[in-house]
Amino acid sequence: MTTMDTPVAPVHSTPEEGVVHLTFEADGLAVLRLGAPGERVVTFTERRLRSLEAALRKLHGRSGLAGVVVTGPGPGMFAAGADIKVIEAVHDAAAGEAAAREGRSIYGLCQELAVPVVGAIEGPCLGGGLELALAFDLRVVSDAPGTLLGLPEVKLGIVPGFGGTQRLTRLLGLPAALDLILTGRLLDPRQSRKVGIADRVVPSQRLLDAARAEVRRLQACGRKAPVRRLRGFAWFATRCAPVRNFVADRARKAALSGQGRFYPAPLRALELCLDALRLPPDAGFANEARALGELIVTPVSKALVRLFFLTERAKRLGKSEAARPVQRAHVVGGGVMGAGIAGLLANKGVAVRLCDLDQAALARAKARLQKDLDKRVQRRRLAAHEAQAVQDRLAVSGEWGSLQRCDLFLEAVVEDLAVKQRLFATAVERGLPDTAVLATNTSSLPIDAMAEGLRAPQRVVGIHFFNPPEKMPLVEVIRGARTSDPAVATACALAVRLGKFPIVVQDAPGFLVNRCLAPYLNEAALLLLEGNAPEAVDRAMLDFGMPMGPARLLDEIGFDVADKVSRTLSAAFGSRMTVNPLFAAMVQAGALGQKSGGGLYDRSGSKPGPGRAVLARLRRERADLAGPAAPQQIVERLIYPMLDEGWRCLAEGLVAGEEDLDLGLVMGIGFPPFTGGPTVYARRIGLAQVVATLERLAAAGRPGLVPSDALRAAARG
Amino acid sequence: MTRTRDPERTLALVAGCRTPFSRAGTDLRGASAADLATHVFREVLDRTGIDPRSIAEVVLGCGGADAREANVARVAALRAGVPQEVPAVTVQRNCASGMEAVFAADLRLRAGEGDVFLVGGTESMSNYPLTMGPALTRLFERLARARSPFARAAALATFRPSQLKPRVALQEGLTDPVSGMIMGMTAERLARTFGIQRGAQDAFALQSHRRAARARERGRLAREIAPLAAPPQYRAMVDADNGIRAEQSLEALARLRPVFDRNEGDVTVGNACQITDGAVGLLLMSLARARSLGLRPLAVLRGHGHAGLDPAAMGLGPVHAMPKALADAGLGFGDVELFEINEAFAAQVLACIAAAASGEYCRTQVGLPGALGEIDPARLNVNGGAIALGHPIAASGARLLLTLAEELRERSLHAGMASLCIGGGQGQAIVLEAA
Repeated sequence: MTTMDTPVAPVHSTPEEGVVHLTFEADGLAVLRLGAPGERVVTFTERRLRSLEAALRKLHGRSGLAGVVVTGPGPGMFAAGADIKVIEAVHDAAAGEAAAREGRSIYGLCQELAVPVVGAIEGPCLGGGLELALAFDLRVVSDAPGTLLGLPEVKLGIVPGFGGTQRLTRLLGLPAALDLILTGRLLDPRQSRKVGIADRVVPSQRLLDAARAEVRRLQACGRKAPVRRLRGFAWFATRCAPVRNFVADRARKAALSGQGRFYPAPLRALELCLDALRLPPDAGFANEARALGELIVTPVSKALVRLFFLTERAKRLGKSEAARPVQRAHVVGGGVMGAGIAGLLANKGVAVRLCDLDQAALARAKARLQKDLDKRVQRRRLAAHEAQAVQDRLAVSGEWGSLQRCDLFLEAVVEDLAVKQRLFATAVERGLPDTAVLATNTSSLPIDAMAEGLRAPQRVVGIHFFNPPEKMPLVEVIRGARTSDPAVATACALAVRLGKFPIVVQDAPGFLVNRCLAPYLNEAALLLLEGNAPEAVDRAMLDFGMPMGPARLLDEIGFDVADKVSRTLSAAFGSRMTVNPLFAAMVQAGALGQKSGGGLYDRSGSKPGPGRAVLARLRRERADLAGPAAPQQIVERLIYPMLDEGWRCLAEGLVAGEEDLDLGLVMGIGFPPFTGGPTVYARRIGLAQVVATLERLAAAGRPGLVPSDALRAAARG
Repeated sequence: MTRTRDPERTLALVAGCRTPFSRAGTDLRGASAADLATHVFREVLDRTGIDPRSIAEVVLGCGGADAREANVARVAALRAGVPQEVPAVTVQRNCASGMEAVFAADLRLRAGEGDVFLVGGTESMSNYPLTMGPALTRLFERLARARSPFARAAALATFRPSQLKPRVALQEGLTDPVSGMIMGMTAERLARTFGIQRGAQDAFALQSHRRAARARERGRLAREIAPLAAPPQYRAMVDADNGIRAEQSLEALARLRPVFDRNEGDVTVGNACQITDGAVGLLLMSLARARSLGLRPLAVLRGHGHAGLDPAAMGLGPVHAMPKALADAGLGFGDVELFEINEAFAAQVLACIAAAASGEYCRTQVGLPGALGEIDPARLNVNGGAIALGHPIAASGARLLLTLAEELRERSLHAGMASLCIGGGQGQAIVLEAA
């Protein structure tokens, strides 16, 4: 079939990476590959775009061309979008706009070709990759797993800039386009066929042949594919102005709800999608390029790009060679954490045995997993037989059974050192293989003490999930003094496999996240005692960008847990973490929070709860009622001590670097992602400013807030 | 007694467990036969920690497999984490299907075909279906084939309301198509032949409940049971048999009306086995393999036997099968210290005792030189039987062996025999020896 194989751009004997490759087949068909065979990831760099342009221009000049099939370098990869390093490097709005205009016009060459262009898509087809595919006449998509289509640009604080907003809106109509572009949601082959991005979904092995057949079919009946007409609701919501306005209003409200107001990209994208319907194409494309240029230089975008790199970095921790495969796991402790972790393991293919003496807890664990599975089956995210396989992998029992084939023994029982030590010792006695990892989900006890006296203490590692484990994206992997590299690597790999971002933290009280959260919650409680309404404190922090105010958060955590953790940290760090009397008082009054049916708020989380009476009583007993503070003061008093604690952790070598601190607090506490993380935020304020503010607060009667030497040193530069 | 045996060819019962036995339509009604078997297989594997790749074959008894899981053994094995390379077969010998699974493993071992077997029996009698008969099936066939509206109307015109009458799998399954008798009627027949009065039957049923209740109280039954969370909602853990009636009285039993022969019969729901859901899983391997893995067997299989007889007298199956199993084991009747005979009906077990002790019956019907022997009621079904626990068809055979093995160990006895009568006119028996 193949008559010649020419890499476009510099000619080499072997196909070169980083550029597109054009092959001509006997019957006038051209196959354009977006990379060299064997190239695992295709991203659009300047170089690849230039070679794409050259290839398309060559096709324009070619006589006897019947049609073009565009596909990835090989199975499992189409194009993952623009190179994010390129996005990161743009610091000039005009340059960003020019690059967008340039890229859009290169993609436009596909449409200007007189012959049909058909995409053969397998693997990631994201961002700039999908924008290119949208410029084709037809898209044939493979059913291979890992095939995902979408425009996730808003997640990086930008909008699709190579024509994506315009083309997708015209192809799918307004509602579907908004749904995809404003959320950055990715679609699997079946979903992409349903919304209309994919014209055909075919078995992986037949992908190229199906694309070739589509080219010939189009060629036989009039060269280019006809423009697809919108039908039904999509037509109404796109062409009929009142309905369109209604849909746009709904989307606008959704984009602004919650913390959406801190992210400008979705709103810009919304306007661009509307432009696609109300402006001539060129004007729409021009607006899109301008929007991209303006957004790409915003601090929000830079912050999100940085976080993206941090998450990628965390995921790489899961790829270590030293990690041992985990096929079978024992989880002891059927509470919220143990059951949640066991369910996660079962979901990801680990045969897990959850053990607890409380039979009711075991049934709850199964029921909770089933509820989640039922929901996913109902939404067609999961087939019924797959759900059953997940449930089958979770065995629950009062008996441990044999540990001989266990790869991971994880305990999530009460926070009692003696109990945990005994569990680990028993596990070793009962024949746990020496290669198995002994993991603890403790949030407050020292790993080293747990490893004490064990045979092979180097395999004891902390895997600290956050509550609820199904939802919280962070896992602290705790390295004790004797913990081995393979144990840490296994824990990290497991966290990544479970869809979490791991950060490695040294064994110290509170580890990283709880330790940095403590001054925040302590100070919040103090503000409440000083006479600030919980609503006012929460409002100030929501306006700062936190996903939940501290008073609500305390209700979620539970005052019993807050009190206990607080005591541990106070014992370790003394005066700067003094236990706030509010915690114990709430526990005494039985207003633990959500778990007891209400704390500072009631069960609904929006109205005052039974804890207000406790608060009022404590206020009456206090002499120094400072009264309500201004929102800015609240932010300073809550966030700055957290920053200080962060720098202390850095100075103590608790985490490897600022990247881990940022990822940890963003994913673990919800530190606003648009800031880029605490260290980026602190530098934007100015570290000297943070130090000065803390000194002022310390002088004004909060001696515990004296800034650390670590922060002072960082401020001096 | 101490005949040496080849450890390579001696089958050892290494571990076993069962689900709680739940009356049909109660705690376990949401679990399919495969769900139940998956649970016991997973438990046996988890408890012993053996590498499932070493299993030569999975053999599971099931009396009424669901159409969705016709080879329920394979379904349960894969779901329990047995690797796909290990083959699995479902066996069916009606009430003895669970014992047949052990029997089949023993035959394979003797033939040198593998030395580790995961076996058991499972039955979800709650899920025995109502099916539509062939008449309605024909109608749908005709409809599917009809091409024109006219042909379709013609096909529809053949519909008769009688075609909607469902077939009840439970009832059909318990009726022997050759003799035309439902199982209860065969028991009535035995009661008449051997002169077993209603009072004796009720007394036997009461004893079954009392023994089972005592065994449950002292935790003896819990040793066999692996509790499970009941699908589909998993609201609670089911950890005990729910058919045992500790408060059962003779008066209450006497008040029950006969079910099969409403006017002149003796067999009531009180002195017959219960309709129940349950599964049993057993890990079997050669004695040599068990030793090399450092596993301590519960018991070893000393001999097996099965036999056929008049389907209308199927309840006497044990009397025909037991001598064969003893001959295979090289033991005499007097060597057997414990008996488990499945309690399909009180009348049937009592008939077995009478027939075994009857020189005439054993000579003329079984072909023995004289009476098989006296079965001491104190050594028979010492923890109760199917009248109290229930009879999940295919699970029972495996349960008898598990119970017998546990009991031999508990009482430090040497040999015991388990046997079942089988609908259709058969009996099966296995002799176990303390390991």
